[in-house]
Amino acid sequence: MLLPENTKCECGHQNAVGTVLCETCGKPIVKEIIESSEPLEMRYDGVARRSQKANPDLLDKIWNFFSSVKIAIYLIIATFVGAMFGTIFPQANTFINNFEPSIYYEETYGTPGKIYYLLGLHNTYNSWWFITLLVMIGTSLVICSIDRVLPLYRALNKQQIRKHHSFLTRQKVTYTTTIEGNAQQWVQNYGQALRKKGYKVHIDDTALLAEKNRFSRWGPYINHIGLILVLLALLARGIPGWNLDGYVKVVDGDTVPISGTNYYVKSEGFKMELYDNGELPESLQNTGRVKNFETNAILYACESNCNDDYEQPQLTEVLRHTILINDPLRYEDLKLHQFDYDLTPRINAVSPMIINKETGESFGPFDLSMVDPDLSYEVGPYRMKLIDKYMDFSINSDGEPITLSREPNAPAFIFNIQGPNLKETGEVFMYFPLQKDKVRFSQNTINRELTDKIDIKVDGMENVSFSEATTFLNVRMDKAVKYLWIGAIISMFGLLLGTYWQHRRIWLRIDDDTLTLGAHTTKNWYGMRAETSYALGKVGIELEPKSLDNGGNKG
Amino acid sequence: MGKYRKKVQVVVLLAVLIIGGYAIFQSFQSNDRTNLVKVGQMAPDFRLANLNNEPVTLSDYIGTPVVINFWGTFCEPCIREIPSFQKQYEKWNEQGLEIIGINLSEDSLTVANYARKFNMTYTVVRDVDRKTEKKYGLRSYPTTFFMKADGTLQAAVVGEMTEEQMDEHIKQIMQ
Amino acid sequence: MSLLDFSSSIFIVAFFLYCFAFIFYCIAVSGKKWSNRDPKVHEARWSKIAFITSSSGLIAHIVFFVTRWIGGGQAPVSNMYEFITFLGMAIMVAYTIIHFIYRKPLLGMFALPLTIIIVAYASVFPQEVQPLIPALQSIWLKIHVTMAATGEAFFAVGFAAGLMYLLRVVDFKDSSKKGRKAQRWVEFTLICILIICGFIVASFGFKGAGYIAQFEQETVAVSGVGEIQTKVATVEYTMPPIFKPFNSTAQYITPFLGIDNALLETPSWFDGVNAGRKLNTVVWSIIVGLLMYAIIRLIIRKPIAAAIHPMLDGIDPDDLDEISYRAIAIGFPIFTLGGLIFAMIWAEIAWGRFWAWDPKEVWALITWLFYSAYLHFRLSRGWHGRPSAWLAVIGFVIVLFTLVGVNLLIAGMHSYAGVD
Repeated sequence: MLLPENTKCECGHQNAVGTVLCETCGKPIVKEIIESSEPLEMRYDGVARRSQKANPDLLDKIWNFFSSVKIAIYLIIATFVGAMFGTIFPQANTFINNFEPSIYYEETYGTPGKIYYLLGLHNTYNSWWFITLLVMIGTSLVICSIDRVLPLYRALNKQQIRKHHSFLTRQKVTYTTTIEGNAQQWVQNYGQALRKKGYKVHIDDTALLAEKNRFSRWGPYINHIGLILVLLALLARGIPGWNLDGYVKVVDGDTVPISGTNYYVKSEGFKMELYDNGELPESLQNTGRVKNFETNAILYACESNCNDDYEQPQLTEVLRHTILINDPLRYEDLKLHQFDYDLTPRINAVSPMIINKETGESFGPFDLSMVDPDLSYEVGPYRMKLIDKYMDFSINSDGEPITLSREPNAPAFIFNIQGPNLKETGEVFMYFPLQKDKVRFSQNTINRELTDKIDIKVDGMENVSFSEATTFLNVRMDKAVKYLWIGAIISMFGLLLGTYWQHRRIWLRIDDDTLTLGAHTTKNWYGMRAETSYALGKVGIELEPKSLDNGGNKG
Repeated sequence: MGKYRKKVQVVVLLAVLIIGGYAIFQSFQSNDRTNLVKVGQMAPDFRLANLNNEPVTLSDYIGTPVVINFWGTFCEPCIREIPSFQKQYEKWNEQGLEIIGINLSEDSLTVANYARKFNMTYTVVRDVDRKTEKKYGLRSYPTTFFMKADGTLQAAVVGEMTEEQMDEHIKQIMQ
Repeated sequence: MSLLDFSSSIFIVAFFLYCFAFIFYCIAVSGKKWSNRDPKVHEARWSKIAFITSSSGLIAHIVFFVTRWIGGGQAPVSNMYEFITFLGMAIMVAYTIIHFIYRKPLLGMFALPLTIIIVAYASVFPQEVQPLIPALQSIWLKIHVTMAATGEAFFAVGFAAGLMYLLRVVDFKDSSKKGRKAQRWVEFTLICILIICGFIVASFGFKGAGYIAQFEQETVAVSGVGEIQTKVATVEYTMPPIFKPFNSTAQYITPFLGIDNALLETPSWFDGVNAGRKLNTVVWSIIVGLLMYAIIRLIIRKPIAAAIHPMLDGIDPDDLDEISYRAIAIGFPIFTLGGLIFAMIWAEIAWGRFWAWDPKEVWALITWLFYSAYLHFRLSRGWHGRPSAWLAVIGFVIVLFTLVGVNLLIAGMHSYAGVD
């Protein structure tokens, strides 16, 4: 630690504790630095950081911890090493359905998998220690910036033109020579040459300060402000109602509510298109490479009866959009993304005929919906009552009919039919609309002698209504994302300022016939030397740019 | 320099403590991946049609302990549970217990046939478009919620229960 | 001759021009010590020739890129072959830019072999134009991939200069513990590069010999609805199987050195598409790479690094240090924009999640964090010279892992950009 020794410079300026180079004339005021012959460490122009203080209390100590760049680097390293662990095995949140991590990892990866799970690495990026690291990085960003930006601003805002000799000769770019002629004129000429290179030149009699691109010094701080905003935006996603992440399954033609919102979505049809063999290279022929898939969607807003499942909700169309993978439906903050599809058709309704097998006459057709069908039908001379139905017919272990699901995978209808040559109380007829089920569950055997009297049959595919496909849409809402973009833009802007421009300064003083020059830049010393020597060349001093190099570390 | 230094330090560190603390606190929360309505919260309200197509509103039951059971005819364990619910209903109804069996968006015919088959005398309503089950954050069936008289949830049970277990839970909400 | 055929031909031209440029750079550097000439004039002359050759190579490469874009009707950055060739091109662009800033021709001696290896590596992959699957049909594919690759190309140049710095400054006569450690690590880095060459040699060697082996692999997967599904797939090997796919039986194996069956089985926890084949390829690359190393050692009779070291005499190490740093400093914002911000924008559009902690994303973040640590070390901790050069080398290893290793070892949403 730097001792709070005499911080008053010989030029008369009283410096703050922690100052390395006098804030005014630039003369080193720390003993070790005065004695060394190395080029000067010019970080923050040698001014004291805010936090440097004679007697730090606990608060100061915490502050100092986070204000250290060394700590910041360790935090960065810890974060990326931690992030590496998270990629060893898949994270738990990549699984959607009925996923039990305590079993999965051991079963799939053996003992390493079990250890992975027990260490909580299956959930690395939401774990307390990873979040803590991010919080600490955020803290470090804030404190490091506050600690440095104000002193630096003050140092750059009131620069003295005539700097101390030792300040100039101990710059990484420095030059000393003797000149002849009028010193003031010489300085003017050199200043003129530097102006051509875009420098702002300040002249004080026989001393000169030329400076350009000072704004690039603010680049890192702007970048850090952007990053802080990004981290806050990430955090803001946790605010209730700011982030929605779900999915809806929509069968062609259906209108389904989007849970968590006031919207309904209808699919007017999902379409998939494959590449023709003509469009494919040899190795991909007949591989069924998908060219495009899309959902023609309509978004509805619910106007009334929205939280009431008893009455029909009143819907108003707000938007139609063809959803592609790279073209989601967007409405205000809501977004619907194409996520998956299922090309299994779903039967919605049939319009069968009822046939009197004894006479060969047929009657109908009548409309039979799979969902909430009418309970009674009059078709020709027949009167039919629907007494039971199954969506996904099967027989359980006790031999009783059951339904396996609520999807019409294997619909079955049980009618009581009255009509010509049938019992007056009616006879029970079981009807499977799908041919495969008719065979699988032997409809004819179930209906026994009735099979010879009547039949219910669909006449051609035009009398079957079905949905061809099901689309799965991701439902997303993220109100924080715009702040994230703002943060990213600010951060990027700062990064560009800080890396593609460099703050360059040249100081020069002439005492009698001796010219002393020093130059400093934040990075790109090559360019700094080139410009210094270019301007020297303009006033008649030709030298190799490399000869200005005073050695030492290059930043 | 910096007469405000101390103030700035305090403000910044305090902000970090609050915001950062909130973030870390959240990381402990988000590990719970289910959306199931949590115990202690108010049971989400619904208004659904019963078998006579009359509306049944949950909020009308405030002041009464209610068992809310989600069931479907396609769900074998749900069906196995129904006689036990019926027995419990008969046992506790006089002391004010209500049971609402919410059918999982099936046809009225199917539901009515099952209700008749099992002599279900407690209230049976039909969910539509799976909205109510989503409201309750169901992931598997059966799921049963035990609601105290004040409308908050005493327990949420995922999976099949024995009659004794039901009895235990009901005793708790009847207190 | 179709545009695509022309494109393939001009690519070969570019490849050979790069090779010649490399040779010319070697002449420029090592010829300085030849008798009867002024070293300065010699170096200036040959490095000019070399630079013109490498620039012609770059022009041919750009022509390849443009004609393939027009001929194929889509930006040629959509599969592994196209991406790696683009990366090679970006490295040449980055090198040329750095060359114009610093005019240090000798950097070419390291940047060119890097490009040559990468371009050769690209040729291992199927070279046909593959029409895009829906997920990739976006303007962001072009923007994200080209920007990220350009950033990575600058990191590659930083790596080349860093490695060159190390070869220049490591004292191969130093027998202290520290000195030996430095020598060993530099040599190890070179061996790793040889292993990558080993992959290319093995791929072309076995392909040329028409080697083939087939396995029938049974995989068990749990479907979305919880059903267990067993799938049987045929896995084709183009290299003799040291590791056969997990849970597989051989259908057909060309005998190689009398071995007609796989020696070992791939462990089940190797993830990703064709994990067994990838592992087998890696093992072969290491074998061939080490074999090549052994042969080189037998010929030159000293460590490779020690052989290269004298060639770099007379190069100012400070210049190399600064070039390495500058290349990384130029690449960092480009990578931030292309590899992270544009990636997030595309992810937001396509998946609705700007960040999903997909392994590829995480590794891009790791790359970014690594280089930001590098910059902070450099700016604030005063790490220059050797430590900085080592970081540049390690950084590029991370870049390579992000580009290739992630696809090889970890399954994720980016796995369609498959490696082998």
